[in-house]
Amino acid sequence: MSRVRVQQQPFDAGEEQRRLIEGRTDIGAVVGFTGLVRDFNERPEVQALSLEHYPGMTEAALASIVDEAEARWPLQGVRVIHRIGRLAPGDPIVLVVVASAHRRAAFEACDFIMDYLKTRAPFWKKEHTASGDYWVAEREKDHRDAQRWEVPS
Amino acid sequence: MSLTHLNARGEAHMVDVGDKDETRREASASGTIRMRPETLALLAEGGLPKGDVLATARIAGIQAAKRTHELIPLCHSLALSKVEVGFELDEANACVHVSATCRLTGRTGVEMEALTAVSVACLTLYDMCKAVDKGMEIGEIRLDTKTGGKSGDYRRDAGPVEAPIVTGEGESGEVSLGVRCSLGEPCILVKCLAELRERLGVGEISIPFSSLERADIGGLKAALKARDERFAGLDEGRVLCAVNQVMAGNATPLTAEDEVAFFPPVTGG
Repeated sequence: MSRVRVQQQPFDAGEEQRRLIEGRTDIGAVVGFTGLVRDFNERPEVQALSLEHYPGMTEAALASIVDEAEARWPLQGVRVIHRIGRLAPGDPIVLVVVASAHRRAAFEACDFIMDYLKTRAPFWKKEHTASGDYWVAEREKDHRDAQRWEVPS
Repeated sequence: MSLTHLNARGEAHMVDVGDKDETRREASASGTIRMRPETLALLAEGGLPKGDVLATARIAGIQAAKRTHELIPLCHSLALSKVEVGFELDEANACVHVSATCRLTGRTGVEMEALTAVSVACLTLYDMCKAVDKGMEIGEIRLDTKTGGKSGDYRRDAGPVEAPIVTGEGESGEVSLGVRCSLGEPCILVKCLAELRERLGVGEISIPFSSLERADIGGLKAALKARDERFAGLDEGRVLCAVNQVMAGNATPLTAEDEVAFFPPVTGG
C-alpha cells in the first residue's frame, strides 16, 4: 500500500487506519487527521470546492514530506490521502494517519505533515460561492505554522 | 535600433560588457575567392609554389580570429573556445568557398571573429596563389548564422528563428497533461497552473531552447515576455516555479526538454 495517494473518490478514515496497523503489535499510538470542506471560508456560503493539482509533482512532494517526517520521528507507518476534483461542504478532503510506538511522535509528525502539506504540496483550491468563484489565497498563518518545524541552524 | 559603438555624443566607444551575462555564443561566416580554373586545378593538386595552400590558409584564419581585437578597433579580446575554418573547392564556378565558425561562452558575440577568419583565410589564399593568378577576386564575405546573446539568433536565409506558439486554454479545475515539446527542435515545455493559467489565459506553451538568452528560469521568463505580452503577469503577485517538478528559482539552470511550471502559492489541505 502506497504511503501517499491523490484521488478523486472519497476515503474511509477508519478503514485506512485499520489497514495501517493491521497485524502490528509494535505500534503504541495512532493519530489520524481528517480535513473537511467547510461551507464558509474567505466568503460565506461556499457551495463547492474544486481542487487542482500538478500530477507527478504532487505525489513526489507528498512523499518527500513523509520522508522528512520519518527522518524526524520514529514512525511505524504513515498514510497521506488528498482528494482532487469537485467537492461539497462536509466532504473529507485530506487524510493523514501516523503510527508510532509512542503518542508524542505520532501527534507531532501528523501536525508536521499537515503544516508542510498546506505550504509545499502543489494543490490549489477554487471555491464556488453564491457570490461567484474565486481561487483561495495563501494564508500567512499557514506559513507561520510550517515555520515552527524549521530547525534552527 | 542604434549603433552600440557610438556613445550619446556620437563618438566611438567600446561597449562595457561587464554586466552582461555569459552565454554560449556561436557565429558562422563565409566568403568566396574566384580564380581561373587552371589556378584552382593547381591548388587542388598541390602544385603551387608556396606549398600546401589550404593548410596555410586554415592556420591563418584561425590565428586571425584570435587576433580580431588587434585589427578591429572597438572589438574586445576574447578567449575563443573553438575556431573552425573550412574550404570547399567549387570547380564548376572556379572558386573556393571559405567558411569559419567561432564559439565561446562569454559576454560578447563572435561574428567579427568569424568574419575576420574568413577574410584573412581568403587573403592568404590570394597570397599563396598570386604568383600564378593576380586576377583573383575575393567576395561575398558575410555572416551566415549567429546564436546566443541579447540581440537574438540570426540566420541569413531563413530570417530570425520563428516557431509557432502552442497554447492551451484550460477550464477551471482542469489539469493540462499535454505532450512534450512539439516544435521539432529542442525546447522547454512551460505550464501555467491554477489561478495563473486563468489569469494569463495560457495553459501550456513550448518555447525553443535557442530563444533563451540565458539558460535559466530568469532567461525563460524574459523569453516568454518577449514572445507574448500576457507573460508580464508572471511578475504580478507571488508566482512559484518548478523545473521538472522540483521547486526552483530564477537562477535555476535549464536544459533542453525541461518541463517548467509556474503557479501561485499552494492552498491544499
